[in-house]
Amino acid sequence: MNPKEEREAQILEEIGSKFDVEGKIQRERRIWISLDNKDLIELCGWLKNQGFEHLSAISVTDWVKEGKFEVTYHLWSYKDKILLTLKTKIDRKKPVIESVTSIWKENAQIHERELHELFGVKFKGNSDLSPLFLEDWHAPPPFRKDFDWRKYVREEHYDKENAREVVYYD
Amino acid sequence: MKLGILPKLFKNLFSKPMTVRFPYESIPIPDGYRGEHAYDMEKCISCGLCAKICPNRAIEMVEASKEYKDKYPKTYPKIDLGKCCFCGLCEDICPENAIKLTKNFFLSTFDDSNVIRPPMPKAEEQIND
Amino acid sequence: MIDQMEPAPKDTEYDLYFGPAHPGSGNFGVKLKIDGEIVTSARADPGYLHRGFEKLMEYRTPIQNAVLSDRICVLEPLNWNLVHAEAVDELMGIDVPERAKYIRVIMAELSRIQSHIIWYGVFSIGTGFDTGFKMAFGYRDYILDLFEMITGGRVYPAGYICPGGVRRDFPNGAADKILKVLDKMGEMIKLEELENPALDARARGVGTLKVKDAIRLGATGPVLRGSGMKTDVRKEEPYEVYDRLDFEVPVRSEMDAYARYMIGIEEMKQSIKIVKQALEELPEGEVIAPKFKRPRVKVKIPEGEVYVRNEAARGEAAIYMVSDGESKPYRCKIRGPDFLHMIPVLEYLLKGAQIADVPAIYWSLNICPADMDR
Repeated sequence: MNPKEEREAQILEEIGSKFDVEGKIQRERRIWISLDNKDLIELCGWLKNQGFEHLSAISVTDWVKEGKFEVTYHLWSYKDKILLTLKTKIDRKKPVIESVTSIWKENAQIHERELHELFGVKFKGNSDLSPLFLEDWHAPPPFRKDFDWRKYVREEHYDKENAREVVYYD
Repeated sequence: MKLGILPKLFKNLFSKPMTVRFPYESIPIPDGYRGEHAYDMEKCISCGLCAKICPNRAIEMVEASKEYKDKYPKTYPKIDLGKCCFCGLCEDICPENAIKLTKNFFLSTFDDSNVIRPPMPKAEEQIND
Repeated sequence: MIDQMEPAPKDTEYDLYFGPAHPGSGNFGVKLKIDGEIVTSARADPGYLHRGFEKLMEYRTPIQNAVLSDRICVLEPLNWNLVHAEAVDELMGIDVPERAKYIRVIMAELSRIQSHIIWYGVFSIGTGFDTGFKMAFGYRDYILDLFEMITGGRVYPAGYICPGGVRRDFPNGAADKILKVLDKMGEMIKLEELENPALDARARGVGTLKVKDAIRLGATGPVLRGSGMKTDVRKEEPYEVYDRLDFEVPVRSEMDAYARYMIGIEEMKQSIKIVKQALEELPEGEVIAPKFKRPRVKVKIPEGEVYVRNEAARGEAAIYMVSDGESKPYRCKIRGPDFLHMIPVLEYLLKGAQIADVPAIYWSLNICPADMDR
């Protein structure tokens, strides 16, 4: 093992002894951990006390073939200078997950509001999930992989008279 | 007493203004500027790579118009300047150097028909035909 | 007898939309509720520039995405080019040649100087000093002429920093021109540091942000450094060749709008120092990895995921890229620094401020709506 990755290995061991997770060290300063839904809030609370105070981003990946959404949390520690990523999977037909606004407050709230609008994931416990970017949107959430954007644009916005757009109607 | 910006003010009062009276005068444009396309139909081999790499699908391969069909039987690129973002990827990928970007940027127009450029041979050949 | 029909509204409360058609606000709107002269609450209204980049990038190959990535934030295109190129380089395991790394650092720092010049210009015009705006945009033209000579376009370099290296080498005589432009930048900084009584009166003691609040609200970059915390991605996890160059990170402890403004000027001086060092150490050699010398239509990206962080002019810029073995990325999440600065931090700072301080607070955060909406 690389002698520079000692602190990463130490953190991974401590997490492994308390919770049931699968983890790996990709290179120095990067740890990736996959875990189950039920341990999420407890692990996040423990990590915040260990120095991971900065939530860099929350993101959702749409795995259509498996039928699941994968929610990832990217945390940065100013003390140890390490980036840790948590990955969990939820069901695609009824996407509901606990919100982390109780731990990271306003930083997490704005990320979850954006993901609710673009993917349709419901975060239980978030006080404000109103639309952010889109106005008067009456279609399924747009960033999912099964949203047929060609059909939507053709019906709502394109113009058959225009010579440059006729090409897209066949 | 603090002088502040006064020395620069006096220097600027007696020097030539920097404004250039465009379009009667112009500043020199460096080489490598990405402007309008110059297409050479003689060198084109109809591989279609420029249409595949364009990020905005501004290039479409079409057949040449009736007057030139016997001399140029294959398909050639038609460029839509309204969709083009002038990135230069079509110039980098062409194996025969048939598309090049020139320094011309006077492309604004009120006339809609001038925006789509069909493939045509250069002017000398048109006179001969 | 007069009947009371409805309770009369309190006379001093009203709504004000500091919106996108206002000359002092850029293309972003804030809905303010005001009582007399004091703002009681603020709600941000984003979405005027939403183009859906994360979905657009799923339908294009890496070289086409490099052309698209300079439009993520209009005011600093080369820095976003660099983040995207680093993400693809790490996923594919490419070795970037040494000369390309130094050229990337030079272009990124010139783009940072250019972005801070715009910050100085619009901050001056927001607080009433019109000459500062004209001076700033006049000096910015020298850097734009330099970009035109090296990359071919003044504002959009069309994917100059692409996966594998850079697209073109420096033309002859570029190094001398860069040194002349840096001397002009030094002259401009001397003019900017002169005392400006309007700015002193309007920006001192306004918009105070303490360190604990800043970390809780997600601020990064100059906003966090203005509150007293010494942090910079270029020193904490160095990328490209920043670990071989010698520069300092300016920090101030006053926590108000004036501190952030002075940090912008200090950072320009440090950037000039970095470019001069990089020009001296520039080695000879190739500028792009041999696999990418000619653009290719289909390139397979191996399976995996990666998270890359960079220091853009406005804060921490990051990309999370997932690939499943095809030639197009499966998911590309873009984290812009302004998404956090414009919604939680702005709403927190405007609460309780006076109405005449709103432009000073708004422009001191160095906002760019393009980076927030993507």
